[in-house]
Amino acid sequence: MSLAPKSTRIGEPVRRKEDLRLVTGKGRFSDDVNLPRQLYAVMLRSPHAHARIRGIDSRKASAAPGVSAVLTGADFRADGIKHIPYNVFTLHPAEVQLVNTDGTPPFVTPCYSMAIDKVRYVGEVVAMVVAQTIAQAKDGAELIEVDYEVLPAVTNTIAATQPGAPRLWDEATSNVCVDATVGEGKATEAAFARAAHIAKIETWIQRVTGVPMEPRAAVGEFDPATQRYTLHAGSGGSVRLKKDLALILDVPEEKVRVLMDDVGGNFGTRGMIYPEFALVPWAARRLGRPVKWTCERSEAFVSDFQGRDLAVTAELALDAEGNFLAMRGSNIGNAGGHTGSFTPLQKGVEIMSSIYRMPCAHFRARAVVSNTVPTRPYRSSGRPEVMYVMERLIDIAARDFGFDRVDLRRRNLLKSSELPYTNPFGMHYDSGDYHDAMDKALAMGDYAGFAARRAEAKTRGKCRGLGIANYVDTATGAPRERAEITVHPDGRVDLVLGTISNGQGHETSFAQLVTEWLGVPFDCVRLITGDTDVVQVGGGSHSGRGMRMGSVVIWNSSKQIIAKGTRIAARLLESDPSVIQFDNGRFITSGTNPSVSLFEVAAAAQTLNDLPEDLRGPLAAFSDEMFNEASFPYGCHVCEVEIDPALGTLEIVKYSAVDDVGRAVNPMIIHGQVHGGIAQGVGQALWEQCYYDPASGQPLTGSFMDYAMPRADNFPFFDAEFTEVPSTTHPLGMRPAGEGGTTPALGAAINAVVDALSDYGVKHIEMPATPERIWRAIHHK
Amino acid sequence: MYDFDYHRPASLTEAATLLARDDNKPLAGGMSLIPSLKLRLNRYAALVDLGALQEIKGIRREGAVLVIGAMTPHAVVAASDEVRKTLPALADLAEGIGDPLVRNRGTLGGSMANADPAADYPAAVVGLGATVITNQRSIAGDDFFKGVFETALQAGEIIQEVRFSLPQKAAYAKYRQTASRFAIVGVFVAQTAGGVRVAVTGAAPSVFRFSAAEAALGKRFDAAALEGITLNADHLNADIHASAEYRAHCVVEMTRRAVLAAL
Repeated sequence: MSLAPKSTRIGEPVRRKEDLRLVTGKGRFSDDVNLPRQLYAVMLRSPHAHARIRGIDSRKASAAPGVSAVLTGADFRADGIKHIPYNVFTLHPAEVQLVNTDGTPPFVTPCYSMAIDKVRYVGEVVAMVVAQTIAQAKDGAELIEVDYEVLPAVTNTIAATQPGAPRLWDEATSNVCVDATVGEGKATEAAFARAAHIAKIETWIQRVTGVPMEPRAAVGEFDPATQRYTLHAGSGGSVRLKKDLALILDVPEEKVRVLMDDVGGNFGTRGMIYPEFALVPWAARRLGRPVKWTCERSEAFVSDFQGRDLAVTAELALDAEGNFLAMRGSNIGNAGGHTGSFTPLQKGVEIMSSIYRMPCAHFRARAVVSNTVPTRPYRSSGRPEVMYVMERLIDIAARDFGFDRVDLRRRNLLKSSELPYTNPFGMHYDSGDYHDAMDKALAMGDYAGFAARRAEAKTRGKCRGLGIANYVDTATGAPRERAEITVHPDGRVDLVLGTISNGQGHETSFAQLVTEWLGVPFDCVRLITGDTDVVQVGGGSHSGRGMRMGSVVIWNSSKQIIAKGTRIAARLLESDPSVIQFDNGRFITSGTNPSVSLFEVAAAAQTLNDLPEDLRGPLAAFSDEMFNEASFPYGCHVCEVEIDPALGTLEIVKYSAVDDVGRAVNPMIIHGQVHGGIAQGVGQALWEQCYYDPASGQPLTGSFMDYAMPRADNFPFFDAEFTEVPSTTHPLGMRPAGEGGTTPALGAAINAVVDALSDYGVKHIEMPATPERIWRAIHHK
Repeated sequence: MYDFDYHRPASLTEAATLLARDDNKPLAGGMSLIPSLKLRLNRYAALVDLGALQEIKGIRREGAVLVIGAMTPHAVVAASDEVRKTLPALADLAEGIGDPLVRNRGTLGGSMANADPAADYPAAVVGLGATVITNQRSIAGDDFFKGVFETALQAGEIIQEVRFSLPQKAAYAKYRQTASRFAIVGVFVAQTAGGVRVAVTGAAPSVFRFSAAEAALGKRFDAAALEGITLNADHLNADIHASAEYRAHCVVEMTRRAVLAAL
């Protein structure tokens, strides 16, 4: 699949320069940071899903050996520390905004880093113990006596919306925080009235969690001399974390510095600020010593933000020929105990119709709080959920009304000539060849030969199924990004960028861009991202924005470097800038061919004292851009499964993926992204779920013994290819590749399972499609 | 973890003396004990590490009996030519426990003394009607496991070895839980001199014998004999991974598979 790279330029599968460091244990993750005189923090977390805090007695804990402080929400408030500044919606201009139908503003919960008077989920921070050692801090935490008045809890998404449900926030009249509609109601009703067929689904895209390989950790410092806080903590972006931290700590932004090196996984659930990230610098200030906190894995299962959790009812109207007429329905997103983000709800409901021709649609979108860990955008925030719904609806329609599922998709899939296309919610799809992606995926998955494979499996007593899912993914994210490039005379190029690698291989792929555009050796490029004293601007890594935005600002900066360099080279070569060409790292005059290298030019910029003012000094350039247009990656996945009906166990026998990336920078890295994405999407479809006990609200999946992560031996070798139809909204034609693996995988896998069970009259199966669920479906239990 | 004292006795007698105290705990491979300590789920005054006791390690055959020392790691059992030759079902079982790290550290005696409801070895001990030899007495395999993490062992009593009478035919079939890969259901089937034995782990609070299947297979040792045999789900485990009803079904199905594998 990935052949050896021919060069280190764009389009080559260059081996990742960071990997030797990472696989030999030389990565520097948050927990690797240790500072002189540091103290250790342990969080006391709520054992109840919902309770009023009547009092906290920390006297015994405070007196315990080694304990420096026991801090509670009351201390936090007394110090004037602010609530977490959650940005609950994406305000990106390309996105559809959710406005409450009754005109009221959305209910956004006042959320502090520690519980003040009430706890609303198991795992919420109630107190922080800081001690000389972790063990002493844990001993101290066990001595804290919290007087709880336990309240009834609700964790189920639909149940939480009911008028009689336990209410989490006294400030609100119900648990429903957002109640909006999108699309056209009247036109949709009219279309349904004349429909020949209506396909229906009622489903729950269950709650899962991100499970980054590196658990979170944070070390906080405070320097009394400069009154500055420093936080060492891995996240999805350093600049945003700095801004949020400054707001919470109520200090100007320049009084906060955020540092991070390697970050072992993000997936969105690590993308935003966490309560503990404000607690450790605050404690460091109070105690006059650095304070370190490391999340344990079992702690992560109750305190890492979780993902998905969307209850959907949806209907698809078709005419007699199978043309889609309209869609309607209702989506309810479960925000958890606090309203951290309504983004998944928003980003899902605006593309319910996927890449199909849909004349009109109307959806109700609600967000609700419940006694569960707060949710955040999780790999492809909102889109895998709705792509799954759409692809299920199509299979249901095909089956119920006698259409061929491929024909039905082809009939309604937008043609290239119809693009750009505005979907019924108002989203503008840029460009692509959706039919080509599906045709390729069907060919790779040998759709034509499937009937024979199915028949052969049947002779062995097995049920084979094949599932198809098309998808589109809206890539927006924080719109501002900046690159700064400095060419040093000694042969180094520094690239400062506002993204963070959470494992995506930025050091490699961004260096490929610089190699391509500045013709410098691959190894001379140093990527600088994780220090807010150096990186002033940037949105971090989410919503497929790293390469999409990074490439443009690096391209713009490179062009400026070449323009400046050309003028300096002209001076060195005693020639006119207009006759100088830049080729493979050298400035060349035509004709006699004397030339100078980029690095010689960089040296001249610092040594020649008769250069014009704007050329003197380091050879450097920056580009700071706003990206107000969305990009729309798309593709098609085909999943084939074989089920053993005796136990309901399942094997994925074949998985084919076609993803359009516009223009590939590093095919190997893209394939890696797709492979991991598929595992994450199929993981949700078949295995993963954060279970809560419905009566008590207690989480039941608190470790890897119960939370079923996908593993390598669960999968066949993936057959992944990408297409490159240039995006018309991106100056270089690129589309993001980080989320596409996940987005269609839920639908492809579940469609395959249901297809496999069609002989048993099974019409639908909920996620995760566990063996027991499959067995029950077969036996109609 | 909480603080504890650590002892590494050189003899069984010394170990037994140390373990006479209720709040001391024997440490074998530590594959369950150490994680439970790290999570502060348990607290002991002292751990008594049995790792130096060479006398309770190793594998030997005494005629028609395979004897395995309590401190023999799973990986050693799995790789043993003797076990592979005389009791391949047991080698297969050992090879399927946990992951390579667990198999290199975890031991037969540790697994038995811990008596995890989903552990594999209890199915073999009961399924083969083995005899458990401790420093105090000999206990029939059928009487050893008493409940969830509960055995017949008394304070200061240490498993020395387990004596497995070689069966005519045997096999172990395990249906793994997706997350932990412990047995949702594990069934050990053996055709022995004393009749057919079917021992089930994972499905109930403790390993148990599936008597209806034993009776049917006793008449005719093949998979078809299990036709119509069911297991009452009333006392089976139920959790997020499998309901009692599904487990009951899986026990029958895995019994069938074990018989097919044994033939």
